Amino acid sequence: MTMLSVRGLSKSFGGLTAVDNVSFDVHEGMIKALIGPNGAGKSTLFNLLTGFECPDAGTVTFLGQPMVALKPFKVVRAGIARTFQNTQVFGEMSVIENVLVGMHTQLATGFAAGALRLPATRKADRMAVERAGRLLRLVGAEEFADAPGADIPHGVRRLVEIARALAAAPKLLLLDEPAAGLNNAETQALAASLRRIQADGTTILIVEHDMGLVMEISDEIVVLDRGRKIAEGSPKLIQKDPAVIEAYLGEEVPDA
Amino acid sequence: MSSSELLQFVVSGLQNGAVYALVALGFTLVYASTGIINFAQGEFFMLGGVLAVAGVRFGLPLPLAVVASVLVSAGIGVALERFALRPRRDSGGLVLIIITIGASMVLKSLARHIFGPNEMALPAFTPGPPVIIGGAAIDPQVLWIWGLTFVVVVALTLVYAKTKLGRAMRACSLSHDAARLMGVDTAGVVMLSFGLAAALGALGGAVVAPLTQTAFDVGARAGIKGFAAAILGGLGSPVAAVVGGLLLGVLESLSVGFLSSTYKDVISLVVLLAVLFLRPQGLFGRAGKEKV
Amino acid sequence: MSARYGLDRAIARVAPVLIVALVAAVPLLTDDRYLFKVLTFVGLNVIVVTGLALLFGYAGQISLGHAAFFGIGAYSVGYLTATRALPWLAAVAIGVALASVVGLLLSLPMLRLKGHYLAMATLAFSEILGVFFVEASAITGGNDGLRGIPFPSVGPFKIATPGASYLLVWGVAIIVVVLASNLVRTRPGRALRAVHGTELGAQACGIDTGRLRVQVFTLSAGLAGLAGALYAGVVGFVSPTTFSLEFSVLLVAMVVLGGTGSITGPVVACVALTLLPYIDALVPGLPRDAVAFLQDWEADISGIVMIGVLLFAPGGVAGMLRRSRRAGDAS
Repeated sequence: MTMLSVRGLSKSFGGLTAVDNVSFDVHEGMIKALIGPNGAGKSTLFNLLTGFECPDAGTVTFLGQPMVALKPFKVVRAGIARTFQNTQVFGEMSVIENVLVGMHTQLATGFAAGALRLPATRKADRMAVERAGRLLRLVGAEEFADAPGADIPHGVRRLVEIARALAAAPKLLLLDEPAAGLNNAETQALAASLRRIQADGTTILIVEHDMGLVMEISDEIVVLDRGRKIAEGSPKLIQKDPAVIEAYLGEEVPDA
Repeated sequence: MSSSELLQFVVSGLQNGAVYALVALGFTLVYASTGIINFAQGEFFMLGGVLAVAGVRFGLPLPLAVVASVLVSAGIGVALERFALRPRRDSGGLVLIIITIGASMVLKSLARHIFGPNEMALPAFTPGPPVIIGGAAIDPQVLWIWGLTFVVVVALTLVYAKTKLGRAMRACSLSHDAARLMGVDTAGVVMLSFGLAAALGALGGAVVAPLTQTAFDVGARAGIKGFAAAILGGLGSPVAAVVGGLLLGVLESLSVGFLSSTYKDVISLVVLLAVLFLRPQGLFGRAGKEKV
Repeated sequence: MSARYGLDRAIARVAPVLIVALVAAVPLLTDDRYLFKVLTFVGLNVIVVTGLALLFGYAGQISLGHAAFFGIGAYSVGYLTATRALPWLAAVAIGVALASVVGLLLSLPMLRLKGHYLAMATLAFSEILGVFFVEASAITGGNDGLRGIPFPSVGPFKIATPGASYLLVWGVAIIVVVLASNLVRTRPGRALRAVHGTELGAQACGIDTGRLRVQVFTLSAGLAGLAGALYAGVVGFVSPTTFSLEFSVLLVAMVVLGGTGSITGPVVACVALTLLPYIDALVPGLPRDAVAFLQDWEADISGIVMIGVLLFAPGGVAGMLRRSRRAGDAS
């Protein structure tokens, strides 16, 4: 079943076209990767999908609902959560609190209930803390649970952002370069976590430069170059695609 | 209202407006180089007047007293930047703004301790009867206000457009990183902009003091009105700040003419809120330019 | 370390009880009217500062207009009880509601504004209200203010002594502090800290940042209104000079000294800074000149404190508390 459907999406900044008439689908249950050389428009595309930027043209449909021009918080409520290439961890909050913030849409406590700390509020918060702990274990960041967000290594920040995004119980998870800053062993662990997340029923759209990881985990790949989609298909197909190899020449050849 | 009365109101509006313009220029300069609003800007207006009076009482000739007050104020502005703001320049706008708020409180309070709580008068720059133009009486001091504002704006515009320093200042207003790459001493430009802003505010305070008197507590109002003028112009170019100041002054003066003097101060505040709420980029600003 | 942590938790449990006991014990220990009056002012400021701590220390927004919200609460109660003979409790409710609604209306358009514009807008608002307090003399009594405001009373109970006023104000203050401390530990408080941390991250967590800003601004305006509403009945008269820009800045100074991301820190700072000019109430033998000096230099001191804290101890009181706790853990 098609979960996310992107049609003719375009965005330019002052004459520079960042995303140019891009269309693709994400089917439920799969891991789909978005790759391309630097400046191909991947992050802009993510921003368009999550309401952080408004497209000049095109549509985004998620589970049958139009998504364009929704504010970011509404996108989250609709079931799409994301991480950032430049991590946006809350530095003055502990890691576990970061994940608790991710549960914002899952908890109901308002100002009054929070101030009174009703029994129901306490119970919900206790369960939230337990769930946050589980999510941190899932991504492999549980040892940092009580550390302030500002004090953890960059690689771990990406993992915390994944846990935080998962905390919103999204149907579709958008990951922007989750493996940047991770060593080999950590990347392998990340691959295992992503599979588990997929097995738990969350669909994933991932932007990633680590071609080993991309080829290993993705079911389908979309290749962007200078804002345009130049190829789409299974990892095997993409590796042989002449247009893709052409695009990557002069930057880095996909090594997989 | 007769046409000469109307003209009289316009003249008095342009008189106050020119002073607001000087304060507004200070806001604009600091905003351009740092992206923050200097909440102490109004206090330099106060210092300009109060220090000039102190200079005259001390026995300095009036012109020297005015120049000295402007220079001392500029020095205080530079010191504020160098010792209170620069150490925390990477901590974000919120911290810097709070520091300028604290500084404004200290400057005002110190002025009260040193110069006392009473109003102080500064002699006119060139005493004489008002000049009558088209039925409106114009005090010679008003000509001084206009003349000095004009000279300052022309000088600033020239510096901005033609000199290396002006290029450095413009580069800083776009991006500190880019400016540094171009070899601009950004810290120096920021310090200079604070000094210049303080000097402009002080000049405004000194030049209007013979008409209005001055006291330790005139800074806040002058600051708000200067800011209203600056934001009306869009916090962009020096010319926009001046137009904003003159516009605000005339608006205020006409409201006194048509409504009541009670609401003179309220007008500029309402203008300030209206611009902030409806058109934060100002009348001449482009939308979407936000630093900090 | 776990023993230390246990001790910390024990302190955290016991400290509030001790503070409440101490506050309640003061009327048993003394009947000094001056001391009561000073402590009552401290309690009123604690209420406002708690709201400002939420606004500034958690949500990262500056208001230079909280004296005006305080004034709205005070004038509402003054006018409604003295002139309109409304019951005190109803007048307080109206005063708080009015301050909140004005806060709401003011914060709605300010959603689009960044921090320094917000500060300037609240400043302009408070100046406008200052003019209103003087000019709308039919309601506010103009420059003379309102006099003869009745004491707080609920049905037959009348709070007419300095000791009773003190207990009323501190009772409310303690409730406010407890509620705020709860708030920051639960979902809305976490969201506030998140917005302050990184707006992008907060939005990506599904937080409606604009709505949250309006909520917290309205809440803090309401708390300032509440303090003002209590002030009117307790002091008996209100005049425009009380609600000056200086008062607003002083309140901000208290929060800055207290530190961001904390309720305890700003409350401690508020107690300290409010007591400073009236220190003779606590230390009776103090020379007159010293007290006069402190009162005369209050504005300078709070201004210097603001700058000094941000330059040399950006975490404020709360930061120092946290550091000493961490140092204890390390040893």
